[in-house]
Amino acid sequence: MSRFEYHEPESLRDAIALAARFGTEASFLAGGTDLIVQLERGRIAPRHVIGLRRVPGLTGIEVNGRVTLGARVTPRAIERAPELAGAFRCLIEGAEVIGGHQVRNVATVGGNLVNASPAADLVPGLLALAGAVTLVGPAGEREVSIEHFLLGPNRTARRPDELLTRVSLPALPTRAATAFLKAGRRRAMEIAVVGVAARLTLDASLERCLEARIALGAVAPTAVRAHQAERALEGQPVGPEAFRRAAEMAQDACRPIDDVRASAAFRRHLVGVLVRRALDRCVTRARSAA
Amino acid sequence: MSAPPRVVGQSLARIDAPGKVTGSAVYAADFALPGMLYGKVFRSTEPHARLVRLDTTRAARMAGVRAVITAADAADVRYGAAVKDEPAFASDIVRYVGQPVAAVAAVTLEAAEAALALIEAAYEPLSPVLDVAAALAPGAPLVHAAWQSYTAIPILQREGNVCNRARIVVGDVERGWVEADRVFEHRFTTAMVHQGYTEPRAAVAAWDSSGQVTVWSNTQLPFDVQATLADILAIAPSKIRVIVPGVGGAFGGKLRVGVEHFAALLARASGRPVKVMTTSEEELTAAYPRQGTVIELKTGVTRDGRLTARQGRIYFDTGAFAGSGPGVASVATLVLAGPYRIPNLFIEGYAVYTNKTNCGSYRAPSGPQANFAVESQMDIIADALGIDPLELRLRNIVHEGDEGPTGQVLTAVGLEECLRRAAEAIGWRDRRPGPGRGKGLACGWWTTTGGSSGVYVKINPDGTVALNTGAVEIGTAALTGAAQVLAEALGVDLADITVVSGDTFATPFDFGAQGSRTAFAVGNACRAAAAELQRKLVAQAAAQLGAPEEALELRDKHVVGPNGRISLADLARQSQLAGGGMIAHGTFIAPGTAYDTKRVEGHVYPAFHSPSFHAHAVDLSVDGETGEVTFHKYVVAQDVGFALNPTYIEGQIEGGVAQGLGQTLSEEIVYRDGRVLNANLTDYKMPTTLDVPRVESILVAHPGRVGPFGAKGVGEPPNIEPPAAVANAIAAAVGVRITSLPITAEKIVLASRGDAR
Amino acid sequence: MAKIALTLEINRERHEVLVEPDRTLLDVLRTDLGLTGTKTNCLDAECGVCTVLVDGEAVNACLYLAVVAQGRAITTIEGLAPAGALHPLQQAFVELGAVQCGYCIPGMILSAKAYLDEHPRPSEAQVREALAGNLCRCTGYQKIVDAVLAAAERLAAPVGAS
Repeated sequence: MSRFEYHEPESLRDAIALAARFGTEASFLAGGTDLIVQLERGRIAPRHVIGLRRVPGLTGIEVNGRVTLGARVTPRAIERAPELAGAFRCLIEGAEVIGGHQVRNVATVGGNLVNASPAADLVPGLLALAGAVTLVGPAGEREVSIEHFLLGPNRTARRPDELLTRVSLPALPTRAATAFLKAGRRRAMEIAVVGVAARLTLDASLERCLEARIALGAVAPTAVRAHQAERALEGQPVGPEAFRRAAEMAQDACRPIDDVRASAAFRRHLVGVLVRRALDRCVTRARSAA
Repeated sequence: MSAPPRVVGQSLARIDAPGKVTGSAVYAADFALPGMLYGKVFRSTEPHARLVRLDTTRAARMAGVRAVITAADAADVRYGAAVKDEPAFASDIVRYVGQPVAAVAAVTLEAAEAALALIEAAYEPLSPVLDVAAALAPGAPLVHAAWQSYTAIPILQREGNVCNRARIVVGDVERGWVEADRVFEHRFTTAMVHQGYTEPRAAVAAWDSSGQVTVWSNTQLPFDVQATLADILAIAPSKIRVIVPGVGGAFGGKLRVGVEHFAALLARASGRPVKVMTTSEEELTAAYPRQGTVIELKTGVTRDGRLTARQGRIYFDTGAFAGSGPGVASVATLVLAGPYRIPNLFIEGYAVYTNKTNCGSYRAPSGPQANFAVESQMDIIADALGIDPLELRLRNIVHEGDEGPTGQVLTAVGLEECLRRAAEAIGWRDRRPGPGRGKGLACGWWTTTGGSSGVYVKINPDGTVALNTGAVEIGTAALTGAAQVLAEALGVDLADITVVSGDTFATPFDFGAQGSRTAFAVGNACRAAAAELQRKLVAQAAAQLGAPEEALELRDKHVVGPNGRISLADLARQSQLAGGGMIAHGTFIAPGTAYDTKRVEGHVYPAFHSPSFHAHAVDLSVDGETGEVTFHKYVVAQDVGFALNPTYIEGQIEGGVAQGLGQTLSEEIVYRDGRVLNANLTDYKMPTTLDVPRVESILVAHPGRVGPFGAKGVGEPPNIEPPAAVANAIAAAVGVRITSLPITAEKIVLASRGDAR
Repeated sequence: MAKIALTLEINRERHEVLVEPDRTLLDVLRTDLGLTGTKTNCLDAECGVCTVLVDGEAVNACLYLAVVAQGRAITTIEGLAPAGALHPLQQAFVELGAVQCGYCIPGMILSAKAYLDEHPRPSEAQVREALAGNLCRCTGYQKIVDAVLAAAERLAAPVGAS
């Protein structure tokens, strides 16, 4: 007796129609690396699973200034995309630390976002890059910033009858660089204890910060921006003093918990360390790219 | 042996490799029979409670369910290696979250899982005993109110929540404190950790029409399982056949019944074969992990670094049933004494009941825990006295002819060579090569467990050789090593030998794959069988070769004499035609090791047989801000007596170190209020390829008197020294001394900042 | 839901199976098709013993629905080499002592194969990274890594070279 009925629509419209018909009783299946786990553990029990592998238009990576990632783009595809190896590097750095190769070959960026684990590895980078998701439902398309998309652990703004079809990232300003760092108890196969992504834009002298975006993962119910730290950096000369202050403010922006992986105190400490290091890395990258 | 060894000592490919690399080797987890049902176990959700209601009616009525069993379906007996305190199913009291209460068999695994959800159980909670301190507190609730009524090994010292207290007393420690210039006292703790074998415990049981049951299982001890099943099933052992098709790793976690009894009981109740296999969650909540410990160590030393006295207490949190606790508490006292000359000792090992999963044996049981304390303290002492840690050890280690802590005379003592060579290989002179970087040492000793092994060896008419052994190959290549010993003795090649193993009906008794004993004991049994075969072959060949028996030898698959030679194949064919075939029975029982009985109390393991000695050295860096440890080099020097197969001994060292590093840096089963918080492989963190260094293995050889060619047990020791070696290196690197395992990045950072945690 | 008829291509052979849609590829391989070379353990994509190749890429079969495997080329350990001949990876694992209990080995070999097919001349660090999703408890990984590097050399050697 199967736990669910399986559907494999061949068009986006059919996929949406199925979601509209079954509502909260249905889950979309992209890679399955979150869905099947939760199903097997009894955490979810959808009566209908809508497989997406025949729906066209969900697997492309387009880079022309802006970046568009189809919802079914895998972390492996991100790792292998040479166009992302430059200023968009934090995406690759987030992708390459998800599980092992087996998971990265199958998991998807859309699934990572919709599952909305507070520790999701791709999310801080997407936040730092000012990403937005496109949701398609019976009423049409809408774009939602990632900040507004993530509502809480495993909760997003997606309505049951909507499919996340792509993630869009605006073009990067010149002299901008990104970095993503992750801390965990072992060097692979880790759920992040802390994840930090940063995007730094330098001025023409390469000495001063024009704009900063800092995103923190695994230290709040969703990945969050460290707004105060960002504002404190803008217009300032880059360097150890500015970064130390920004790191302290980032520590204040997080709301970590004690759990079996780490204590809140340690997480807060790591935020400070990784923010500093991510910013340092951005400066090095921006300067060497210039 | 006049000629140099031809087969032993060679790094030959293991004989079971082809099946394993092609996927054709069958493990117990793969085994299946036609018409087989799937069994699942219903488990307690309370750490300590009265089971006041158990209703399996709805489960029994569910479509697809063919049997539901509870305590009423098993004999009213308790089993256990040292104390018979454990029932197959709880009946009135549950003592840990995960304790079996009932079991179901159904036509699919999904149906069996669904049936579990239909079993109704109600509990009246009792006060749980959550840790050793709570268990030993005055007025503590008793985990086993009826402990006095249990059958147990007579010499155990049991009282209340203590299921054994083992003790070594030598000289007078009070005098030792007086003689000392400094006395050091420290407390260490270690976490519960799991063996982490990648194949779950699995068993398939099938009854035949004559009331006999066959159980295919991945147990390390088929004869022990046979005996326990006899008690639980209330039938004679001879009606039980345990067969081991293949084992996907064990490390001590698959010694005792885990699922075999459920499979057999369900198969009997349903009339169909039944397979039961554990999940990761069951492994991390209801298996036989390594006990967590609390260790109090007090050591007296003169200002020039001579140890005068040691007082130690190690408490094993052994969980709801004694399991291996009493024995492990005994072994621990020898590890806590260390391979050192200490004239005054008062050392105790306690196995303590708590309301957690009952713990068992895990590769060098008590070794990593006790060695972590001893070797960490040695470095603390060295630092305080201003003596180099290597030098402090060299001043105190045992040498040939010295007494061990229980008075055994130590021979083939390769410890000094191990220490010196490990230290040299790590570049010990430069202990702190840079900021945040340091080197650490640790040394120790271990046993080669005794017990008996029997083999049948038959020469086939085509000249190949069949080795029939009750031993079990758990992955170490021990049976390849034993086959190499046999090939050497018979003058054949390893490729000529096929092995049949692990079948209580068809193979002779073997004490089992435990305690690093298999290559040692089976190898010696093979030598005995080969000697008997040689007598028979030579006797049969002498007349045909026109030479006296003394002039004949086995060489090149022939009996060779001054006037000619006859192939073993021909002799075997003749023998088969004339009467029965060319077959011999070989046995080996390890001789006891003499020790001073007055020194020990409550002790079930009073001497280390054919002891091995070892030293580990590590070079690492610590990221002071994140606490992350990066390895630069890891060296092991191990006195193996004689390397029967160097490649696979290296494999034991490399694997044992990796497993030891997991226990050192990232692994722990975390309990809160009697419940495991991380019962999955996401949060029980075993090392990956990126977490372990390459290991340089230095095989030191001080041949023992008993093992084949002087070999000693090699499998367990590499697991012992990593925690202390790493703790010592971290202290050298960043001046932070962590006295609890695992040494997580968090502990390092918080200790560096002076935060108490 | 009723069972679905699937045609699965496994090791270049077509298999017709009738399975519920919630069955995983791992379960169908082992239970329905008797291909037990692919192993079972955590069922959580944490250990890698269930690794198979799907269109040449390493995948955890425990989380891969059988119904999604239709139309793809599945390779299990049984399909790595024709009967009687070992693939250079298998040969290297045997020769270099990389096999102990052997339970992780099928998954390990397939992960290695997928990586070598894409990166024929890897460094040790790259091999380790490629195998990070395959846990081994027996070997400490060292001889496994050495075997993969040795196999890479053999595979990259021109035909006819010794």
